[in-house]
Amino acid sequence: MVKTKSKIEEEIQAIFNSDKPWVTIVWDDPVNLMTYVTYVFMELFGYSKERATELMLKVHNEGKAIVSTGSREEMEHDVARLHEFGLWATLQRGDQAL
Amino acid sequence: MSEQSGFTRHGENAFVAHFSESESEVLINLAGQIIELLSERADHGDEDPLAAMVGITSHDSPPDDEVLLRLLPNAYADGVDAAEFRRYTESVLRNKKKAHAMSMRVLLKSASDGGVELDHENANAWLGAINDIRLALGVRLKVEERSHDELELLAPDDPLRGVYAVYSWLGWLQESLLQALMDDSANEVN
Repeated sequence: MVKTKSKIEEEIQAIFNSDKPWVTIVWDDPVNLMTYVTYVFMELFGYSKERATELMLKVHNEGKAIVSTGSREEMEHDVARLHEFGLWATLQRGDQAL
Repeated sequence: MSEQSGFTRHGENAFVAHFSESESEVLINLAGQIIELLSERADHGDEDPLAAMVGITSHDSPPDDEVLLRLLPNAYADGVDAAEFRRYTESVLRNKKKAHAMSMRVLLKSASDGGVELDHENANAWLGAINDIRLALGVRLKVEERSHDELELLAPDDPLRGVYAVYSWLGWLQESLLQALMDDSANEVN
């Protein structure tokens, strides 16, 4: 796929500048069951039940939570898988205000 | 009449449930509606077949339909980034969601006496399918605006009352499958 020059530069910067990784954010949703959100975090990210529950509660109580960090491509992959399971997820640069 | 037992785990990798004829019909019907809805947003015929093969869709703007938008949300807050991501990934997402719903339909249609046995992979497909149906019904019920109490108190003649009953039952069914699966993962960790 063809990318614009600025996008390529952005990605290179993201890869080499580890201070500013990309993040995947899951947003609170009134439909998804708490158990389901926990299960999806365990299943997709291999998180322990404790870690997955902690993240689910953060989403539930604070309205959103960062569930993974990495390169832009990795985060796009994570968002796509979260969408497949119906979670409301977006990605953005980690240095942007959350 | 349903025994209301939901899913139970049988051995290492089998999750079993029994559905009454009417329950099975409801699930088959709703899964079919999800497949139909996703198929309506088919890619336009004028696109490059090679692009279609690798999952590049001609859609780059979000769906107008509220249910479809919930099933196929934007990946970026930024409109330009969201459009580019959608162009390259949306048809793959639609196909995965259709496959989840089809897994549910096929297994229910071939079930004898309403008995269904899922392995871990099928269970994940069912979880996704049940969730997509709940998301769709949730849009119709306006769960974003209405409180749980408000939905519980819908008048008997309100057409949404039946929708809410199905929505709640699906939540209960999904929860029972999750409990069965989570026992499994707890055993694997230990």
